[in-house]
Amino acid sequence: MLRYIAFRSLVALFLVWIVVTIVFLLLHLIPGDPAELLLSGGNVAADPQAVAAMREKMGLNAPLWQQYLDHMAGVLSGDLGVSFRDGAPVIEQIALRLPRTLEVIIAAALIATGIGVPLGTYAAIRTDGKADAVISLFASAALSTPVFVVGSVVILIFAQQLRWLPAGGFVAFTEDPAEHLKLLLLPAGTVALSLLAVITRMSRASVLEVLQRDYVRTARAKGLPVRAVLRRHVVRNALIPVLTVLGLEMGTLIGGTVLVEFVFNWPGLSGYLVSAVDARDYPEVVGIVMTISVLFVLLNLVVDVVNAALDPRISLGR
Amino acid sequence: MKRSTRKLIIPGTIVALVFALVVLAPVLPLQDVRGMDIPNRFSGPSAAHWLGQDGFGRDVMSRLIWGGRASLFIAVGSALLAAIAGTMLGLLGGYFRGVVELFTVRAVEIILCLPPLLLALLVVAILGAGTWPLILALTILYTPNYTRVVYAATQQVRSLDFVTAQQAMGTHPMKILLRTILPNVLPPLLVQMSLVVASAMVIESGLSFLGLGVVPPTPSWGLMIREARGAMELAPLLLVWPSLALAGTILTFNLLCDRLQSALDPRAITAGGALWLRPRGPKKPLTPLPAPQDAPLLQITDLSIAARDLELVRRVTLSVRPGETMALVGESGSGKTLTGLAMTGLLPDTLRLTGGSALYTRRDGTRIDLATLDEEAMRQLRGDEISMVFQDAAASLNPVLRIGDQVAEAITAHTTLSGEALSARVVALLRQVGIPDPERRLRAYPHELSGGQRQRAMIAVAIAGNPRLLIADEPTTALDPTIQAQILALFAQLRRDTPGMGMIFVTHDLAVVAEIADRVTVMYAGEIVEEGPVAEVFTRPRHPYTAALIASVPESGATRLTAIPGAVPLPHAMPTGCRFAPRCAHATERCRERAPQAASPAPNRITRCLRWEEVT
Amino acid sequence: MTHHTPNAPLIEASHLGRNFPQRQGLLGRARDVWAVNDVSLSVAKGETVGVVGESGCGKSTLGRILMGLDAPSRGGVRFDGRDLATLSGAERRKLSRRMQMVFQDPFGSLDPRRTIGAQIADGLITHAIVPRAEVNAEVARLLEQVGLPAGAAARRPHEFSGGQRQRIAVARALSTRPDFIVADEPVSALDVSIQAQVVNLLMDLRRDLDLAMLFISHDLHVVRHLCTRIVVIYLGRIVEEGPAEQVFGSPAHPYTRALLAATPSLHPRADSADGVLPGDLPSPVNPPSGCAFRTRCPLAEEACARAVPPLTSVGTGWNAACIKATPGGKP
Repeated sequence: MLRYIAFRSLVALFLVWIVVTIVFLLLHLIPGDPAELLLSGGNVAADPQAVAAMREKMGLNAPLWQQYLDHMAGVLSGDLGVSFRDGAPVIEQIALRLPRTLEVIIAAALIATGIGVPLGTYAAIRTDGKADAVISLFASAALSTPVFVVGSVVILIFAQQLRWLPAGGFVAFTEDPAEHLKLLLLPAGTVALSLLAVITRMSRASVLEVLQRDYVRTARAKGLPVRAVLRRHVVRNALIPVLTVLGLEMGTLIGGTVLVEFVFNWPGLSGYLVSAVDARDYPEVVGIVMTISVLFVLLNLVVDVVNAALDPRISLGR
Repeated sequence: MKRSTRKLIIPGTIVALVFALVVLAPVLPLQDVRGMDIPNRFSGPSAAHWLGQDGFGRDVMSRLIWGGRASLFIAVGSALLAAIAGTMLGLLGGYFRGVVELFTVRAVEIILCLPPLLLALLVVAILGAGTWPLILALTILYTPNYTRVVYAATQQVRSLDFVTAQQAMGTHPMKILLRTILPNVLPPLLVQMSLVVASAMVIESGLSFLGLGVVPPTPSWGLMIREARGAMELAPLLLVWPSLALAGTILTFNLLCDRLQSALDPRAITAGGALWLRPRGPKKPLTPLPAPQDAPLLQITDLSIAARDLELVRRVTLSVRPGETMALVGESGSGKTLTGLAMTGLLPDTLRLTGGSALYTRRDGTRIDLATLDEEAMRQLRGDEISMVFQDAAASLNPVLRIGDQVAEAITAHTTLSGEALSARVVALLRQVGIPDPERRLRAYPHELSGGQRQRAMIAVAIAGNPRLLIADEPTTALDPTIQAQILALFAQLRRDTPGMGMIFVTHDLAVVAEIADRVTVMYAGEIVEEGPVAEVFTRPRHPYTAALIASVPESGATRLTAIPGAVPLPHAMPTGCRFAPRCAHATERCRERAPQAASPAPNRITRCLRWEEVT
Repeated sequence: MTHHTPNAPLIEASHLGRNFPQRQGLLGRARDVWAVNDVSLSVAKGETVGVVGESGCGKSTLGRILMGLDAPSRGGVRFDGRDLATLSGAERRKLSRRMQMVFQDPFGSLDPRRTIGAQIADGLITHAIVPRAEVNAEVARLLEQVGLPAGAAARRPHEFSGGQRQRIAVARALSTRPDFIVADEPVSALDVSIQAQVVNLLMDLRRDLDLAMLFISHDLHVVRHLCTRIVVIYLGRIVEEGPAEQVFGSPAHPYTRALLAATPSLHPRADSADGVLPGDLPSPVNPPSGCAFRTRCPLAEEACARAVPPLTSVGTGWNAACIKATPGGKP
């Protein structure tokens, strides 16, 4: 088991390395000079001499392979470089903003799972009934509405019309816990809605599939009460694929919360990436992409380990 | 038209309408999409502008349709391009495996290491905003999805015998790929396609919303929502229209995808769920009847089972005495398994009893009619009075529960046993069914046992409640000969150990019947054709079907086997007269006209043949 | 084409071995798992060799190797004097005209999306058996040969029953006019009354076309009925081979005896429960030392664990791999 995790972590590191390399090369091979971008304000062309000096300072004049090696050496020693824009260490910015993004995702996952699993199970038990039709339609609709639409509409309803909640912004938890949670509610709820749709649909499909399994018939043949059949045999087995999907969806959300952060003015990691890409701030972009990939790959590993713990048929490294 | 196909009509029509609208946008009598009208900015709906005007006074409806054109062009275009690339990679990787797989499937999977929106963002940031960069970004993004789907389907198809047959035929691999494999991976590809169109629209609109997608003044739904947000308080409707259009279109594509999936995948669950979970009607009172002194354990009379209007089992009559083993034998489709399942109330939801009775004598000496019991009354009998052993033990045991727990559960369902006493009973049961080292094996999961051991565990589950009637449904069919012999010996042992237990042994194998049963009931096309003591029936069958069945077993030493021509009739095309007549060597005009009644050639024996006296 | 004497084998396998390296988990050392080990056999024209054994014993792998669909890790296959391993892809495809296969699953062996006529015609066209203009007539003739109406060619597989599909598969195999057919459990998925139809068809074809046939099955009754020679396999190795009458009439290897005793019969012997073999098939990942059968063998003794017993002659053309082999002897 431990050997397996060690092996998978190595594979994960390898994948992250490939991703970072690709991003690094892409950024450096495409047109667009960060020094020029930084120095040119509005429609005024930058002074060529100043740009040259800036390039030298940023280390952009060295051969590409040397820039790459320097960068990788930095990464290995835990140094992600400094931002082109403000000279601050990239790692500090990431340490500041990553928790904010994770907070939204975890809150959303908790809401979605807590509601989605019972809802999906109930729909499956009442297949083709009215409750199933309503739940399935709701799930389809929620799944089909992009987050920024949901976000805009909830702002319109809860902030503009009803004035129950603030339209967006951020206050640190340490400063004002109540206000922090209040501000968290809309973004987390918006992310939760689409996640809820996925979890509900998956739970429904999974329960329906398990209900057709022979071992459920065996459980009934034992004369077990309906509740026991459902709890021990149906829901328990049905949960395994649901948790897998939840894990993968959360992975997608890291870095996928750009739109929500934009809509609600939530200063998380994804929004930071967009502005970094815009400014061609190489160290920032590479640093953020690397953080996101590490988390993404790590989460996939966690999903596999959890799966193996729940399903004895999957054996890891044994 | 099938129900699943019919359900495609609504989303299919809407998708077609949306496509027609955006394709015809240039010829429709729409307002100029860029025509500004600043004085009338934010005007509500009017006769000239059905959906109102936006912040520059432009016609919203016109922009909505043109915006849909841009969104759909990008989404469909990238879905198609990604489909072509992904299909090629997936086909090659799935068919040739090895190095080819590494350079196709594994290579594109690196893309999956990046969150999708992030990837799109990177590409657009690099290439700049606009329609074509978006299409490229989305194509790169979705190629791995197709590759994976096609790869999985290809692997599945390539292991099928008809592909091996093509290889054995000496067909060129490329020809096999295009002619044999590609058509067979198309259904999942189609489903994936509609899924990707929906998903691509989400990402396209998201990027446009961020200002990284379609470049203004080209209209796009994402852009319209972005612009409307600024004026949310002034004109909330401006936000509503594009949101509705976007969500509605994506919803339709998702619906289409769902329904396409269930129409293309025959295994998809279309109806039912599980009716046993829903108690229906008021609880029926149980009416036990006193049983006569020598009543059989089970007396089935004229039992019929039907699926909607198709009768699958017709007027089955048979009885099982305590201690007796009755073999129910027949080919596939004969109704033997259904008859067994009906006795435990475990018939599939689509089937129901349509007539007859099944009187069962309980431990306390009273009789009840199994055919009238509701789910709860049936549940109390199951495992306690009547138990069942299923054919496929690997599928019939819960894969995530330990063997010991599954046996224990069967005990606790009807007793209050717990703790030490319970585990001692579990160990004793496992030992009884011949599982070696039961103290340790009870902690094993089903997949850790061999096929024979699993079937033994299945039998332990069935006998855990000391049932008085054991129904075994083809319990040895999937096993190897030496293991089958072990399980048959176990059943023989069980009969000796529990002399009062009756058994219904469902099988298609006549030789197994000869080894295990006292009496045999032969079923054909949903009817009983012959019944009697095993030795008598096998030495002198009194129905032409039984006789032909025995003669077709390659054990006689005859140089040529007796083959029964034709095939078992299907339920919706049952012959009017004797159901065996079309395949019977002795059939006459009379047989084809009249269904024969059961006749009794000797005490204890039954045959359903008009001509038994002449031909047997 | 080489001319061969009546008794010369058409296909000859010598010391075939096929291993599937199996990793214990992701990191464990790869272990050799021998699905087929040191198997030699030959099939001559007009001869039907039955291969019997329990699931996982390697009999299907053996069939695939003889067909050239899988390459042996050791040993080689010669077809009509030519070593399959030395052939190029194109040569191998050309040779495939002469060797064909019939599969177990009547539902998986035909492409659900194409008409059966088109599928039978594939072989005719690939190998240019008949001129293009005569393909349809030839398909009709093949269908009639297996007892189906010529009009069936335009229909798709789902319109046929299991037995009919199996006959279509036979027609497809016959289309290239092969000399050698591997039939891998062709009747086990069929109902008893239908099995006899296909068995009879195969017997007729062998007689009429002078085919060499390898018939793989776990059903001893069918094998005994159809085959002239029998090969019994246990855990990848041949334990007994010889003429059908001898092997089934007076088996020399204790496994063959146990297999026969375990096969249910319409006329059960009174003592049938006594001959039941204990235990399970050992895992091929971790086979017992020496004779693989010794863990379940009623006759096993210390010497059996020492070395794999070689196939030794117990009669004319009849061999058994057991140090205590006693032809016809009762255990």
